[in-house]
Amino acid sequence: MTAYLEVQGVNKRFGGLQALQDCSFTVGQGRITCLVGPNGAGKTTIFNAITGALRPDSGHVAFRGAALSGLSTQAIVRAGIARSFQNLRLYAELTVLDNVASAIPGQFGEEPLGALFRPFRTAAGQRRTRAAAMDTLAHVGLADRAGTHVRNLSYGEQKLLCIARVLATGAKLLLLDEPTSGLSGAALEAVLGLLRRLRDEGRTQLIVEHNTRVVMAVADEVLFLHQGHLMAQGTPAAITTDPALAEIYFGGVL
Amino acid sequence: MDYFYSYATLAAIYVVLGLSTNLLVGIVGIFSVSQAAIFGVGAYVTGYCLVNEVVGFVPAMLLSALACLLVNVVVTLPALRVSGDYFVVTSFGIQLLATAVFTNWTGATGGASGLPGVPPASLLGTELVEAWQNLALALGLMALCCLLFHLLLRSPYGRLLRAVREDELAVAASGKGVLRAKVGAAALAGVFGGVGGSLYAVFLSFVDPSSFDLNGSVLLLTMVVVGGARTLLGSVIGPFLLLALPQVLTMVEIPTTAAAAARQGLYGALLIAFMVFRPQGLAGEKL
Amino acid sequence: MLLLQLLVNGLVTGCALAVVSFSFSLVYSTTRVFHVVHAGLYTLAGYGAWSLERAGIPAWWGLVVLPLVCAGLGALVQLWLYAPLEQRRATHLVMLIASLGLLAVVQNAIAAVYTPNILQFTDPWRARTVALGGVVLTAVQVATVVLSLVVFGLTLLLTRRTLLGKRIRAVASNPFLAEITRLRPGRTYVAVMALASALVAVPGVLVGMDLGLQPYGGTTVLLTGTVAVIAGGIGSLGGAFLLSVIITVLQNLSLLVMPGQWSVGITFLVFVLFMLLRPRGLFARAG
Repeated sequence: MTAYLEVQGVNKRFGGLQALQDCSFTVGQGRITCLVGPNGAGKTTIFNAITGALRPDSGHVAFRGAALSGLSTQAIVRAGIARSFQNLRLYAELTVLDNVASAIPGQFGEEPLGALFRPFRTAAGQRRTRAAAMDTLAHVGLADRAGTHVRNLSYGEQKLLCIARVLATGAKLLLLDEPTSGLSGAALEAVLGLLRRLRDEGRTQLIVEHNTRVVMAVADEVLFLHQGHLMAQGTPAAITTDPALAEIYFGGVL
Repeated sequence: MDYFYSYATLAAIYVVLGLSTNLLVGIVGIFSVSQAAIFGVGAYVTGYCLVNEVVGFVPAMLLSALACLLVNVVVTLPALRVSGDYFVVTSFGIQLLATAVFTNWTGATGGASGLPGVPPASLLGTELVEAWQNLALALGLMALCCLLFHLLLRSPYGRLLRAVREDELAVAASGKGVLRAKVGAAALAGVFGGVGGSLYAVFLSFVDPSSFDLNGSVLLLTMVVVGGARTLLGSVIGPFLLLALPQVLTMVEIPTTAAAAARQGLYGALLIAFMVFRPQGLAGEKL
Repeated sequence: MLLLQLLVNGLVTGCALAVVSFSFSLVYSTTRVFHVVHAGLYTLAGYGAWSLERAGIPAWWGLVVLPLVCAGLGALVQLWLYAPLEQRRATHLVMLIASLGLLAVVQNAIAAVYTPNILQFTDPWRARTVALGGVVLTAVQVATVVLSLVVFGLTLLLTRRTLLGKRIRAVASNPFLAEITRLRPGRTYVAVMALASALVAVPGVLVGMDLGLQPYGGTTVLLTGTVAVIAGGIGSLGGAFLLSVIITVLQNLSLLVMPGQWSVGITFLVFVLFMLLRPRGLFARAG
């Protein structure tokens, strides 16, 4: 059986730093897999490698059996993988609705000729796009904030919007980079609830996480990355109670 | 009354050019000082076609639009693939190179003395000789370009361009083509520039290279900055205001030798003032 | 022999351009602002020296006075324009437009006061020539080469050996870190601007003496200089120097086959080639 996402022997060097070293792991379909490890372990780098933002020195990545090596980010999103960013990168001057709508694929009028010469068809397409965007917003719980500008959102709402934008691409595999960092209380629960809902719907998620409580709460599997290499893999309980890993991560027990 | 027709026609032409600049600078966020160069290409193509009786006015205008589209795409494509400041250098380069071409390719452009004797535009058999006819033509094309700009702003493409301006990386991560979007904007800006240049040639009946130098680009930039970026209203009031400025200046005592420099210096001062105190211009959004 | 003379002239002017280039590179790699006003200070220095000559002071004093004046002006530009804008979190585009506006003010103020015509120095010293193996060099040309190399050497010494130099390189390599540690980049920026402006005054005066003065010529000079900075690799002062000389020599040699007004085409060609083949330039520093 081919793995849903397969990362095999990926190496990447930046100047004097070996960011990824023979990095290999697989991600199972329909599950939440958490990627943990100390800072500098290569978690964001492997995200960049999977999504085509950087080209590995060697090794390959395959999604549903098809190789992703050498494909552009656009092609990879089309294939069904999309990512969020640790530092959000939302469009501050656009509304919540527009942030989501901008990520919806296959829109008519997203290039000048259609937009200018077929205004009616473009307007009809806009209506459909907006409806689809509203659905996505409702799904994450931001429907009532659709018309708000991003700068007026709370941090927790912004984190939800990041996930909404990834969902809007129609991706089957979601790469989420620290979706809960900086959140607590109700906002944190909202995001966790969303992640569980997405899993129940059949979406696959690979999540970079630093918060062990979050990992315990949602992960089906944990991958421990260290110095660009997969060091350990297992259930949340197994990984978070392993004293050797805790040593690497904290210099002590978790 | 003739003076008013003249001012209004010129303002309408500059609105079309201003839309071109607003598209590139305001909406996509590219720093461009080569707007006047493109404007010049449009004017010379139409001027050449009409003086040498190659084609009629409407085909000449379409040729101008096409030429400007191609020039914009060809020269901006290499620079758009790298980061912003490389485009600044490209833009200066295009502008200075264009000025060199306009003043030295005497065979096609008439050199430093320009291209005189451009016949009036001829539409559906009627020659547009009267001042009000030129005004009507200019206003008509201005209205059309404004409509297209308005459609652009509201379209998914307009939203994509705004997103590109904010965060290219995020746009790429959503699976959209950033380079393609930028090149499309450059092409469209070229079309507006070609139309404006074409109108300019038939309105003035004379294509003079001194309108298309770096100072010309600064004027266009000032119109967008003062009027306001990214809005239709800003694109319209900028040219009308800035072209009224020379009239205001005549009330101040400046020797004629220094008048042109004083005007140009004033545009520069306006740029600084607005960037420091009001980057959104009078009716636009923050640059 | 013509070829040799062209080569030597190219080397001389190339050295002058080199000072413009590496001084621009200092500002750009430290403050990240594409400081087009640099061209204005270059021009201002030349006119300042001319005015000194008119006032009866030998023009060579310009080489002492103008660098000091320009250093002060450069520091003011940083303090009164760039720093306040940066405090308001102005975008890169806003900084560029403000810089362009100030350049327009400076160039046009010069044109208004001194007229747009070409001015020449009258000091008989500048015409003294020396013949070296078939080529003729004027005193100004010799001074240009000598002073450019001296000034380059001093700058290298300063950036490598002094505390200020270390600060400059620290801020240049990591502006964010510099901001949050106690490095006070703001002060370093002022120092860099003052230094670079003092440096650019030297070729401003020397080229003015050699070839004459013109209010708007600085833009083309700066453009060529920035292409040299990019082609040489951003952050490499030596790269900027080398490429400045190479480009100017190429421009001069091209006079054998085409008229001088097209020489900006050579610069553009070099730029496009580097964009397509090696955008990082020849000697780019990592990071």
